[in-house]
Amino acid sequence: MKNRKFQLKKLNFSLIVLLVMIMGCKKLDEHPKNFVTPDSFYKTQTQIESTFASSMNALWTAWSAYGYGMAVFSHDDQLAGGDLNIPANWGSNLWAAHYNAIMNLNLSIAALNKGLSGVSKANTDQLMGQAKFLRAYNYFMLVRMFGALPLITEETADPFTAKIARSPITDIYKLIISDFTTAIATLPATWPDAQRGRPTMDAAKGLLAKVYLTMATYPLNDASYYPKAADLAGQVIQAGTYDLETDINKVFALDTKYGKEMMFSFNSNYVAMATDPHIWSDIDGWGDESVEPLWEQTFPVQARKDAYLQTQDANGVNYKTLGRLPGIKKYLYDTKADFDAGRSVVNIPIIRFADVLLIFAEADNMAHSGPTQAAIDAINRVIDRANGYTVNAQDPRATLALSAADFDTKVIDERNWELCFEYDRWFDLIRKHILKEKSIPSIQQNFSDNDYLFPVPENDLRLNPLLTQNPGY
Amino acid sequence: MNRKLTKINRWLIAPYLCTLLFTGIAVSEVKANAAGLNSWHAKTGLGYSAADIVVLGTVKDKQGPLPGVTVELIGNNKIVTSTDNKGNFSIKVPQNGTLLFRSVGYRSIKIPVNGNRSLEITLEEDNTSLNEVTVVGYGSQKKSDLTGSISSIKSQDIALLPTQRVDQAIQGRAAGVLVLNTDGSPGGNTTIRIRGMNSINGGNNALIVIDGLQGGNLTSLNPNDIESVEILKDASATAIYGSQGANGVVLITTKQGKIGKPIIRYTFDGSFASIAKRPDLLNAADYARETNAVALAKNGSGINPLPIFSDAQIQDFQKNGGTNWLNVIYRTAFTQNHQLSVSGASEKVNYLVSGGYLDQQGILLNSQYKRFSLRTNIKADMTSWAAFGLNWAASKENASSPPFGGSTDWPNNPVGAAARFSPTIPVYDANGNYSKSSLFYGNPTLWNPLASAVEPQIDNGTITNNLSAYLEFKLLTGLTLRISGGARIATQQDLSYLNLNTFTGAQLNGSGAILDNQSEYYQNSNILTYDKTFKKHHLNLTAVAEQKYDKLFSSSINASDFLVQQTAINDLSGAGIKTIGSSFNDRVVNSYLGRINYSYADKYLLTASYRADGSSVFGKNNKWGYFPSASLAWRAVQENFIKDLNIFSDLKIRASWGITGNQGINPYQTLARTSSGVLYPYDGSDAANVGFYLSSAANPNLKWESTAQTDIGLDAGFFNGRLSVTADYYKKTTTNLLMPRQLPTYTGLGSILDNVGSMGNKGIELAIEGTPLVGKFQWNAGFNISANKTTVLDLGGIDKIGYISGGSGSGTNLPFMYLVKGQDFGQMLGWGYQGVWKTSQAAQAARYGQLPGDPHYTDVNNDGKININDMKVIGNSLPKFIFGFNNRLGYKNFEFIFLIQGVQGNNIFNVSRIALESPGGTSAGLLNRWTPQNQNSSIPAIIDQRTREQANLVSTISLPSTGNNRISRWIEDGSYVRLKNVTLAYNFPKILTDKIKLHNLKVYVSATNLLTITKYSGNDPEVSSYTGNDAQLGSDFNNYPQSKIFNIGLNTSF
Repeated sequence: MKNRKFQLKKLNFSLIVLLVMIMGCKKLDEHPKNFVTPDSFYKTQTQIESTFASSMNALWTAWSAYGYGMAVFSHDDQLAGGDLNIPANWGSNLWAAHYNAIMNLNLSIAALNKGLSGVSKANTDQLMGQAKFLRAYNYFMLVRMFGALPLITEETADPFTAKIARSPITDIYKLIISDFTTAIATLPATWPDAQRGRPTMDAAKGLLAKVYLTMATYPLNDASYYPKAADLAGQVIQAGTYDLETDINKVFALDTKYGKEMMFSFNSNYVAMATDPHIWSDIDGWGDESVEPLWEQTFPVQARKDAYLQTQDANGVNYKTLGRLPGIKKYLYDTKADFDAGRSVVNIPIIRFADVLLIFAEADNMAHSGPTQAAIDAINRVIDRANGYTVNAQDPRATLALSAADFDTKVIDERNWELCFEYDRWFDLIRKHILKEKSIPSIQQNFSDNDYLFPVPENDLRLNPLLTQNPGY
Repeated sequence: MNRKLTKINRWLIAPYLCTLLFTGIAVSEVKANAAGLNSWHAKTGLGYSAADIVVLGTVKDKQGPLPGVTVELIGNNKIVTSTDNKGNFSIKVPQNGTLLFRSVGYRSIKIPVNGNRSLEITLEEDNTSLNEVTVVGYGSQKKSDLTGSISSIKSQDIALLPTQRVDQAIQGRAAGVLVLNTDGSPGGNTTIRIRGMNSINGGNNALIVIDGLQGGNLTSLNPNDIESVEILKDASATAIYGSQGANGVVLITTKQGKIGKPIIRYTFDGSFASIAKRPDLLNAADYARETNAVALAKNGSGINPLPIFSDAQIQDFQKNGGTNWLNVIYRTAFTQNHQLSVSGASEKVNYLVSGGYLDQQGILLNSQYKRFSLRTNIKADMTSWAAFGLNWAASKENASSPPFGGSTDWPNNPVGAAARFSPTIPVYDANGNYSKSSLFYGNPTLWNPLASAVEPQIDNGTITNNLSAYLEFKLLTGLTLRISGGARIATQQDLSYLNLNTFTGAQLNGSGAILDNQSEYYQNSNILTYDKTFKKHHLNLTAVAEQKYDKLFSSSINASDFLVQQTAINDLSGAGIKTIGSSFNDRVVNSYLGRINYSYADKYLLTASYRADGSSVFGKNNKWGYFPSASLAWRAVQENFIKDLNIFSDLKIRASWGITGNQGINPYQTLARTSSGVLYPYDGSDAANVGFYLSSAANPNLKWESTAQTDIGLDAGFFNGRLSVTADYYKKTTTNLLMPRQLPTYTGLGSILDNVGSMGNKGIELAIEGTPLVGKFQWNAGFNISANKTTVLDLGGIDKIGYISGGSGSGTNLPFMYLVKGQDFGQMLGWGYQGVWKTSQAAQAARYGQLPGDPHYTDVNNDGKININDMKVIGNSLPKFIFGFNNRLGYKNFEFIFLIQGVQGNNIFNVSRIALESPGGTSAGLLNRWTPQNQNSSIPAIIDQRTREQANLVSTISLPSTGNNRISRWIEDGSYVRLKNVTLAYNFPKILTDKIKLHNLKVYVSATNLLTITKYSGNDPEVSSYTGNDAQLGSDFNNYPQSKIFNIGLNTSF
């Protein structure tokens, strides 16, 4: 009996020790401390704003997207190189970058729809305006490159598991118009100086005008959008918030990168720099992105050519003598020291006032089946500055005497020169359906009608059987 | 949420239920026992009895008195004692009783008392070792009772090797265990693989368990503290470790004090190391001629280049030699290793305190490794039913080396630069500064090798504290509860500074880095065991409830642009640019497991185990994983018809099956994650806005990798145990491999971690141990050989995954190591190189636009072009089989020990050779380059531009410029046979040591890596410059070279 008690004492003692050990037993749910899960993010104004920075970073990031030059658009007539035998996966890096941006924006838009606690309605609306502005811009780039798209919005249930088919181009534009419309209604006319890089109401109007103009041309060819485009562009011109830089040499200067002409751009500074500037110059650098010599020879000799293109070295020796290609001087306004060190803080514009003037001129001419005085005035503002306010037979002013078609050609030519290397020419070639006739002879031979769209990335096709490939790939 | 909690609660209750169940069994046992006790009391009358006598005696072996021998009365194990340090014992027993004498390593012996009051017993050493106790997961078993596949290495085998590292001591000693010393740096890496590779991204490192504490590190362990190493290989042995068992388990047991007089032991080992094999390089004069030949060949389009070196200069080099850069950066390195330990035991308390100091120089200047280690092992019986133990081991390690290996940018890498730097350039220039490479020949980007070696200031320090303690309760006869708690706290601090004399420092105006890691690991294991023998049945039950928690906090600072070089990282305020980072993660694992060992008549053995692991790192829907195993063994030697054969002293056939896991998931990897760290000036100001983005999507289904293993084995002993053979066949299939599954990029993400993919392993193992000679001349030998084949079965929808294992300067900056679905693990893909076109093959060469003397590539599809379509398998990095042969010969007081070890059938991609043998390189092999007179060379000719222009051929060879050296020319046979170690020791005779009051004294001389037979032309065939993923093994790229080591040492105790 005593033995029994002794046994129980041992048992009790050891069980107590065991109990104490087990009491400390930790739960298996994870509560990370070094990052947040999406459930606990998107709660404050700054958190929402941080997704705008990351979504722009996705597009601007070096090597994989717009940060590293224009390789994807090298089949146009401006950039040296290119081949209209477009291979599989062409542009897949931009497809991925835009959709990455859209993913982050959708998460913010969903959070804004629910409302942020402690943030006023006005501020919430303004955040929504920025988010939708950015999303619309992303879809606008995608739809022009790839056509019909998987349409993913904040309402898409689970894009990671759901199989999503491509929505028709008109549906994509419906979202773009709706998003830009929200942006126009909620974005301020100007931002305080400390936030001057953000999108404004007029930037949204300018881009929506460009959307309408694109819808009026190939592939939708819906002429009813011309007046809408002209109306919006006209509003921006009338408002006077933005204006042209007077001096053509100031358009891309570093001190005017947030000046009166630039409405919204890819931004860079010394903390978050642009790609190494050596890529823009074959004469002083590596020349990854160089100018097609045949195209350079069609560029009118004028102040603008010297401001935008690098055709000679520091000693005035021409690129042909040097055995080099012309460079893209627009993006070579950094200091010499920065250039040598591989630092660049240039911005690349997404929408600027000269573009808006030309959008107005084109849309107004088409809406009225001939140039109006307003259209003539708009385009001549661009031409006058390009010529250094002198008369230039190579790029004469537009007049009322021009036919609608001739005026249209003049606008497209002016866009070709003024907006060169601003991710614009390829889309003009597409929407005006002039890819074949404008192509340089060496790549023209490989042209086919299928070149008007890039291929859907193979990875996505393989993983989602609902996706269809564009013809010809 | 509620349901989950209930589930957890249920699991919490489980150990109590187990405890109660065992208690139930045990209480009924108490009754029976009490009855037995009473009847014995009745018989003997409690205490003195007329039938009892006091027996005094001595136990000896061949050498002399034997302390610590257990002496017990058969039939009542309560009457027990052990011999003192003179081998004497005294025990009061019935005069007609029978005594059992037992001690580990000796054959037990039963002696009837027969009224004798004094006994003299001599125990014989047990060669069969079948009665040895083998440590298994959460317990131990008699070796003869094992049903799984376990390799054991005893302390005496480790003690005989003059190695400073446990992982190195395992090499060649266990079948199925591949040990790779992937680099030769002091304190350098080893890769240990047990039965092949199971995983691609989940890691293939075995679980290390030191004195029950899981997840230990072998490098910080002092080999002299080790009692035994057990390597658990099959699922029967490893499934008890569940989700950590898939890659095998290495169990380490440290020493305890032994009963007897306290022993103070001191050992010293000193060694000299030098580079094992140098590359054969051109002398300065030959290098100058080579440089001239390359320069003069650039004579296209009417250009007539001038030679770079004049004849006079070459004459001068011939006379004065030039710089031997290998002599400049390598040295003969000295290492000293001191060990001091004090140990002893009384009947109740058992202690060991040991300290070690290792100071190891590396053969590359500015490289060293230091380790201080201290261990205290204490065990005490508090009462007759409660005991405790405490093992505390601390170590402080400091390692430093200039950068080496494949992942280091090559201008910084002194190993690569020393072989490639021009011998025509002196170490210092005219101003006494480090010389620079020439812009006109050689590789202009190479940095001065001496500067790269001695200027980096690197110090990687780690302080580790391992603590494990337990309380053990003998609850009832046969029922034991052990409650153990352990912790491992480690602090790691890596400091580095690269000043202006280094390549990186010059670029960044000084570059410094500080990395701090603070890791903590806690473990509590509650082990309940019940052991019961009734009639012919023996039952052993183990139930464990275990909880583990670990966390890691790390922070880092990288700084550059230093105004003052002298203060370096000690004054970061002086740095212009600083980037900082920090991170934290933690993990919880709760486990419940049980095991049944059952044997009938020592003939039929059964082991079954089951483990449930709940881990926080698993996905929400798969928090718990379950790992069963079962094994059977038949000890045929116990059958009369086998006994009658009179051949076998042991014969056992084993079969096992089980499932183990690999927790290769990092904490939080199953959760969706919002990451910071991208910068974009969204506001357009001078500052940048920090961007947060969704970096990974949630995968609530993510779980462990799962390996099912079947093993069939045979253990046989012959000649009374003097020869034993163990053979095993196994087959493993790993499924649910953790791999990134591609997502459609329109989702916004490229991939998500998922359980896709599958791998297979099968192999055979054979181990033979024997004692061919006994008596005056003794010979113990062990031989093991094993073959393993790893096959990639499925890669989750993709055909192959490539790994870059070279560098841009070598034309290997594209993947050539591949995992290919349906093929062997470790394929090398590239182009076939068939040597150089001979003059007689001019017409064939012209088809490819090539001249005689140009490289001849294999045109796989015979389309007249060499391009991406002609890539094929050109090698494989894994050996077909590995073997080891260790021997111990004894004659009088001399001992002679040697270990031969090797691998067969693997390839090495010798990336280092590419730069040396390219035109303008430094390899002496270039002297044998192809010329019309020397057509049997595999080194292409230097063909001058003018000759090419005249031939007017258009080359059809289009290899990508960053990957054009992925050719079989650089693939070499990595097989080798090596005399890994040879040692001659002398034990001073007892008469002598007694005079100088020493217990024993042994001196020895030893050599490591003395002789290697291999066709491999690089420094050492046991190399891998990339260890990030096992698919990258077998690439030799500027790695720290292996050395030949000569040791002298002494070992004494008093």
